[in-house]
Amino acid sequence: MKITELGKYLKKEHFLPDLKGGSKTAVMEALVQPLVDGGLVKGKSLVLETLSKRETLGSTGIGRGVAVPHCRTMAVSDVHIVVGISKGGVDFAAIDKKTVHLFFLIVAPPVEGNALYLPLLGKIVEMVRDTKLRQAMVGAGDFATFIKIFQGG
Amino acid sequence: MTRNQIELLVLYQDVDLMLQEAAGEEKTMGFGTEGLEQLQKARADIAKNIDGRFLRTYQRLHTKFKRPIVPVQNDVCLGCFAKLPTSYGEKGRRDQGLYTCEECGRILYWVD
Repeated sequence: MKITELGKYLKKEHFLPDLKGGSKTAVMEALVQPLVDGGLVKGKSLVLETLSKRETLGSTGIGRGVAVPHCRTMAVSDVHIVVGISKGGVDFAAIDKKTVHLFFLIVAPPVEGNALYLPLLGKIVEMVRDTKLRQAMVGAGDFATFIKIFQGG
Repeated sequence: MTRNQIELLVLYQDVDLMLQEAAGEEKTMGFGTEGLEQLQKARADIAKNIDGRFLRTYQRLHTKFKRPIVPVQNDVCLGCFAKLPTSYGEKGRRDQGLYTCEECGRILYWVD
């Protein structure tokens, strides 16, 4: 998957440069909220419950200050990404026990015509392994800066 | 308050799919799957709260379909793409009950 293709799924209204919430639950709720506000989910509680079940399997806090909470759920009809940056960091039970500053929420329906969910997930995981890129993304204060860094990666 | 049975069934199916993908692609990407047993237990706990009629229908259909519950959009069953009667949709959205597609038999979940 090309980064330009991935970039199409990043939207200004789904970018939270000052993510609020001090706990895993609160952060998940804050990340889902833009999708609820945009009328993109049917049943906020269903999405949150499915995300929470995914965390049961193993934390999506993949280390180095990044978490990629994700799930397939029938509560959405399309693939959506919400990006959140927490200045203070959140204890997300990450694999390296470090606090998380950069969040990528990915939700997708169980069946997608163009099978994007797993390639999107894989690409994001691959990108955030780059230290410089990751640090630049965390430092992005607005969407224009973030998308520029993202596309440049 | 009684949980919405169709939503619980949807959650049950979503967890089913999660379990399938956890062992494959997600593990390759480096996501931890150490909670596999815990998730299987969580799935069993969800099942305990699902009405027997709903669960039996799901399990019967699961022998035939990978995903027994399918979304309905614009009155179309997204399992077999059959057009559903408009009145069916009105009832389905309102009751959130157990409705199956007259063509393919899958359980319907209205997403619009």
